Amino acid sequence: MSQTLLISGSPGCGKTSWILKTMLSHPGACGYLRLDGHSDIGLEQASNSGIDQAFLKDQIPQLLDLSETQHASRSQQGDLLALIELPQFHSPQHADLAGIDPRIKNQLEALQLHPDRHLHFGRDHELPSKDKLEFQKLESLNLSLYRSVWDPPSLNTFWFELVNGAYGDVYRAKALMNLPDGRSMFFNWIVSQESSQFLPLQEISDPTGRPASLSELVVQGEHLDCLRIQSTIDLCLLNDAVLETHQMPLRDQQKEAIPSS
Amino acid sequence: MNHAIISCLHANLPAVEAVLNDIDRQGIHTITCLGDLVGYGPQPNEVVELIRKRGIATCQGCWDEDIIDGLNACECSYPSQLAERRGHLAHQWTDDQLTGENKSFLASLPTSLRRDRLLFVHGSPNSQHEYLLPDMDAFAALERVETAGADILFCGHTHQPYVRELRDGSIHVRLQNADHDCGQGEELTLPMRKIVNAGSVGEPRHGSTNATYVIHNDATDEVEIKEVAYDVARTCHAIVEAGLPKVFAWRLSHGFEFAEQAEDSSHVCER
Repeated sequence: MSQTLLISGSPGCGKTSWILKTMLSHPGACGYLRLDGHSDIGLEQASNSGIDQAFLKDQIPQLLDLSETQHASRSQQGDLLALIELPQFHSPQHADLAGIDPRIKNQLEALQLHPDRHLHFGRDHELPSKDKLEFQKLESLNLSLYRSVWDPPSLNTFWFELVNGAYGDVYRAKALMNLPDGRSMFFNWIVSQESSQFLPLQEISDPTGRPASLSELVVQGEHLDCLRIQSTIDLCLLNDAVLETHQMPLRDQQKEAIPSS
Repeated sequence: MNHAIISCLHANLPAVEAVLNDIDRQGIHTITCLGDLVGYGPQPNEVVELIRKRGIATCQGCWDEDIIDGLNACECSYPSQLAERRGHLAHQWTDDQLTGENKSFLASLPTSLRRDRLLFVHGSPNSQHEYLLPDMDAFAALERVETAGADILFCGHTHQPYVRELRDGSIHVRLQNADHDCGQGEELTLPMRKIVNAGSVGEPRHGSTNATYVIHNDATDEVEIKEVAYDVARTCHAIVEAGLPKVFAWRLSHGFEFAEQAEDSSHVCER
């Protein structure tokens, strides 16, 4: 039997992690959609960067994209588990489906998605409640890093400085970053946790030039110094010549590893 | 008699003033500086002029050398591209700021100073760029002290203060070639040697923002590592006012080095 759940919560409460865990334990097909949340007074939503979608798709390659209507219409059929992620700062005023923001209802109807339940982090006990973050003020920064490749130790330093407050009070940061060896790394950090999560994506590009996969940084916090974040990133990214010096030996190793016929 | 050893001032005037005041308060009149008067920090001329005015015996550090000879470190001496670019920026800024007279002073500095059995260097007796880390191989550490003909080697460069005693050192030498063994060889037993790292006045890297220096008693050979609090905010303000990267101020105020430390700190740039 199919099920469609709308999962909402504040930034960094663990929506994507819970969705991944739930999908991995579901025996049937899974579908996913991330909706843009709405900003509130002093609380700016990060725009939908696609990081969560790309990360989940990498972890579950057969994942259906519910923004495509042919998949959305399947949400009422078979054993599809359709999970819709919604960033939302405040707990809904009404329980379950009655608490869905009318603007979100309209979006869902346009996509022919009809949630069976609406669960909100911090309100519904079915969801974990380790991070009950209440933000009073929040700025958001989205930076596209498309076709950018990082010097790995520089990335390490940049992330350390970013999440420790060198560029403003950062409460939440996540990113997909390309490394010269073809790996893409998922970086995830929230102020309430001691350390960052670093996960290599399963899909690895050839170490040849710049990968065309999604690469983006999302930062949320207060007093963010966007110019200095950007200028530090510029110091960390590899130019074509240096990238080639990283990749050439890797390609040579790959050639040597292929047995001659 | 007590004497003080300071190192790695890195153009941090409030830190240098605080340390010199602390030394003065103890009535210590002999001070030796192990170099790196400049680099990263916002007051290179002021720090050099204070050292000159006080007549403090000083040997040349790697930053002092690079400011005179031009940037010569190979790319691999930086732990990351980010550190390299920040280092180059700091080098260019310092080069632009330093007066000709102060550059001449840095150029005149010796690479080592010796007082009897005490040897003072910035990095190691081999190079201003070589790191003598506290956990480096004991034989290599002993070799550095022994071949320099010192009982106690005072160094800096790592920004981490430590005292390392090298006891029961011995070297067994036996000549052998393909045809024959030339006997039993010779066992050289070495007396205890000591490496004393003074840490850093201007860019501490020991987990605190406090400046560090060392006091040595040349009669008893007792060594004391001293920590001195200083007005870090004043230096951070000067960094920003000078137009240096704000992240230098942030790193200093959190007890981090201006640019991150190399993973392989024992690496020596081969020019």
